Amino acid sequence: MQAIRNPEQRRHWLTTVLTDVHFWVPVTVLIGGLLLLESIH
Amino acid sequence: MQSAVTPVNESAALAQSRPRKLQVLGILSGFTAGAWLGAAEAPTKLVSVGVSPIVISLIMVTGVFLARWSVPALILGTSSVRADLRRAPHLIIWALLAGCLWAVANTMTIFAIRDIGLSIAFPLWNSNSLLGILWGFIFFNELRQAGWRRWTGVLGGALVMCAGAALLARASATQAPAAHSMRGVWAALGAGVLWGTMYIPYRKAYLSGMNPLSFVTFFTFGELGMMAALAIGYLGLAPLWRELNNARDVLFWLMLGGFIWVIGDVFQQYAAKYVGISRGIPLSNSNQLWGLLWGIFVFGELRGSGASTYLQVVGGSLLMMLGVGAIAFSSAAGKEQAQWQEASRRESRRYNIAEDYVEARMQGMQMTGEVRPPRTVWDWILVAAATGIFVFFATLARAPRMSFHLGPAALLITATLVLLLFCGITLWRTTRFN
Repeated sequence: MQAIRNPEQRRHWLTTVLTDVHFWVPVTVLIGGLLLLESIH
Repeated sequence: MQSAVTPVNESAALAQSRPRKLQVLGILSGFTAGAWLGAAEAPTKLVSVGVSPIVISLIMVTGVFLARWSVPALILGTSSVRADLRRAPHLIIWALLAGCLWAVANTMTIFAIRDIGLSIAFPLWNSNSLLGILWGFIFFNELRQAGWRRWTGVLGGALVMCAGAALLARASATQAPAAHSMRGVWAALGAGVLWGTMYIPYRKAYLSGMNPLSFVTFFTFGELGMMAALAIGYLGLAPLWRELNNARDVLFWLMLGGFIWVIGDVFQQYAAKYVGISRGIPLSNSNQLWGLLWGIFVFGELRGSGASTYLQVVGGSLLMMLGVGAIAFSSAAGKEQAQWQEASRRESRRYNIAEDYVEARMQGMQMTGEVRPPRTVWDWILVAAATGIFVFFATLARAPRMSFHLGPAALLITATLVLLLFCGITLWRTTRFN
């Protein structure tokens, strides 16, 4: 079943992910988590 | 006349009753997730055998990896997973990110258990439910226009659960190791923040129509990749190999813990899909109650404690159940559901996914004319390979020497299996696992 694409949407999905503000919240928390893990290890 | 009107009425009645059915299904999935996630904590007691926390986490994640490929292959088939992926390729990135968050959080919980004990660490990282409510509200329109009663039910329920969790922690504080207590507290809180934030990708996936079983198959690459990187980075390849060799007696138990965890997580994913993260996370966090049941009745924790300790345990458990009940009875109604749909449409537009596909999947259905891809021989090969690996490690395993009561264990196993069957059958009947 082929998805019906929005003709206005031309950007690559990776670009859309990287420009999504929601994406950067978990990324920031992950970086913070790695730093915390480094400090308690 | 009658025959022309009846189908319309039936369709309208179905449209009205469907959201309610899915809400009940989500709540049931949250309860079942709690039971299975609680049972999965039991193998972490092997922390005391002297294996490095990072190695324990890596082994658990290996079991998780095997389960996350074999369970979806068994239930859905890998062709369905591939079809989902073609529709929403961006979710690979989200799934990998969620997997990385899970791996770091899981490693932190092992440190936390070692330093402050399971009973204190558990309620600390379960504070993730409050963070889940915040993210759900900010990013996904959850609890918008929900009315003060539902707000009170969800937020109040989560807070009552935290209070109950704290009481349970206090009850078993005497069991906790004293060394490195602050490090353990930071580790447990860090795990809570990571796990609370991990639900952003979960919800993102389900608002985009992805099947939970498809999401977890890519999620697990993030888990295993991050965990392997941490293990090699912190320990080095040769020492890691030595530790794995030394731990071969317990490899199976830890992998089994990972496998059980995946069953719970699959139901947790369905709960996040059908009731949102603001309600799904607190419901899944009832795993602490199940963990406590395993601890007290199967492993003999708290033996010899005074009456006040048992009173705290009973009080804490009742508070936890009260909180779970408050959240369960605060399911999303019409206006809030409309807000969810708006968030879903926003995701469809942003990521260029067909709205009718997303709409159907949010209702736990397939699009009109959509055909589910058949299972292939590869699915059975995957299941057989994963089973073979588990059987191999089972032949190497030895039962750890610890207090273990068979009767209560049999009762708890029966209860968790009954929940699995009941929820699994209800999911199948209502959504066909869509």
